[in-house]
Amino acid sequence: MNWLIINVVSWMLFFFGAAFPVLILLKAIGLTGFMKVTRYESYHTFYYRMNPSVKIILGIMVMVVASVTIWWIGAIMTVAILSSYLTLKEGKRKFITGMFLTIMTVIGTTWAFAPYTPYVILQEAFHNSHLTTLWVWPSYFTVMGYQPALTTQGLIYGFQISMRFTAVSLMSLVLVMTSTPSQVLRSLNKVGIPTSLTFSLVVAMRTVPRIFEYIDTSVKIQFMKGLGSNAPSIMRPFYMLAGAFSGIVPVIVFLVRGAKDTAISADTRAFRAYSKRTYMHPMTIGKVDKMALSAVILIILMTVIMVMMGFGKGISYNG
Amino acid sequence: MGFNGISGILNSPGEIPWEIVVLFFGAGLIFAFLWGRKSGGLAKFTTLDLIYIGIGAAFAVVWEFYIGAFLGKFIPSNPFFGIGYTGRLIALLIVAGLVRKVGVGMVAMFIFNLLSDLISYGFSGEPMYFMYEMLTYGLMMDIVIAAAGPNLFGIKSPERRRNTEKDRSATPRGFERITKMPAEYLAAIEGILIGIFWVVPEPLFYGGFISPFLYGGVVDWGKILFDMVAFIPSAIIIGAIGGLITLRIVKAVGQ
Repeated sequence: MNWLIINVVSWMLFFFGAAFPVLILLKAIGLTGFMKVTRYESYHTFYYRMNPSVKIILGIMVMVVASVTIWWIGAIMTVAILSSYLTLKEGKRKFITGMFLTIMTVIGTTWAFAPYTPYVILQEAFHNSHLTTLWVWPSYFTVMGYQPALTTQGLIYGFQISMRFTAVSLMSLVLVMTSTPSQVLRSLNKVGIPTSLTFSLVVAMRTVPRIFEYIDTSVKIQFMKGLGSNAPSIMRPFYMLAGAFSGIVPVIVFLVRGAKDTAISADTRAFRAYSKRTYMHPMTIGKVDKMALSAVILIILMTVIMVMMGFGKGISYNG
Repeated sequence: MGFNGISGILNSPGEIPWEIVVLFFGAGLIFAFLWGRKSGGLAKFTTLDLIYIGIGAAFAVVWEFYIGAFLGKFIPSNPFFGIGYTGRLIALLIVAGLVRKVGVGMVAMFIFNLLSDLISYGFSGEPMYFMYEMLTYGLMMDIVIAAAGPNLFGIKSPERRRNTEKDRSATPRGFERITKMPAEYLAAIEGILIGIFWVVPEPLFYGGFISPFLYGGVVDWGKILFDMVAFIPSAIIIGAIGGLITLRIVKAVGQ
């Protein structure tokens, strides 16, 4: 009986790590939520007035600070960047989506590290040879790379590592949500990336939200045709996942068929007729950019001071 | 602290000597340069090709960071099969099938990497990842494209383009016997070849050099060799399926 309970609970824990983020994805965010956070929408607040190059610099700065300082600095940056989502168009909705994305990343990363991280790394990271066991896995779980038991330190280690990713992901989405593909193209051309490559990049940036939109449509059409109509409602997310999966190839076909129209449209506007392009609205460094760059310098100085005070990378990352 | 998340460790036990990596990447760069000079490089891609590359890179990113990332959570970490690898391989095979020009692998990997940096990674570890992804995954795909010529994945096989004088002249002479094969077989075989080539970089270059070079990862040659061999069966299956999906999509697009 004891054997059965251990197995059932262990598999439930395993599927919690797998299914809970997916449930958040399907229920709380949805494909339209992803579409919202990967698509540009016109607005007037400071992020929208900022030069895309400065946003890229901000992203790099956040990444560097999160990777060289202790975990709670990453957590503070996550909260700060997430709060700034409220200034975006439909800010409340984007804030909630960003919050769920962060929760998903935290649970996903914690669960990706906690059961797998070798004890010797945890002992080294926490300067403590005694680890607190929370749950002992069945012995065959080691085949999947699991350690014999789940420990408190393993969970804390996974959580702290997640704080290296959350802030960077949120900051990166700001660039996509607040810059037109054309602005990104102009910024990247300024640093010497050829027009052909930036053109492909812009197509890719515009395609990402469209993929979510078309998969969403495909899933809805499949539901209208009766997919999972006799199944209990608890199974609906799984049918949605199956519908999304089977909708991928038709969506690819639909998008590549439309590629010819885009190509004709670009060619008739003399795309690549000359090696260099001129722009009606050149990218400039304005007041908002200067303020953002000053903030970057200030944060770099603060980071150096924090590292010198001993608040550098607290846990060795061996991913 | 290093530069941009790169610790620059060159003497980790078991690490591939940097000279060999430089030699490989150097050879890759020379190939890219010579290919560029011979064929006109980026200029030879039509606007339509550039759009196909963008769409393929977008799919690879959506799979890597959203759909595949969550499906992957249902599958325990294992050395035999990777959800991320599956989606990325199929997306890139489709782009290769639509464009069928040497260089598409490297350009598509560049766009994929740039987009990944913009929407998620924040340029951490760059420019190492640009070089790694383009000159391993991208280059290997381009080598297969160079060998297969315009008949990649059997798209111009006689069954598909029956007896047109123009197409026969477009087929390289050395590949006449191969092109007699049904298009589906050729698509599966070339998909498998690219799939197997793609098994090598992750364990060998990443495990053997990039990981210790960037953040002092431990090099375990037993694991590297095991990971390469263990992944081959799934690479064969995914490569074959990817080749067939590509053929179907290319047909649906009307090529």
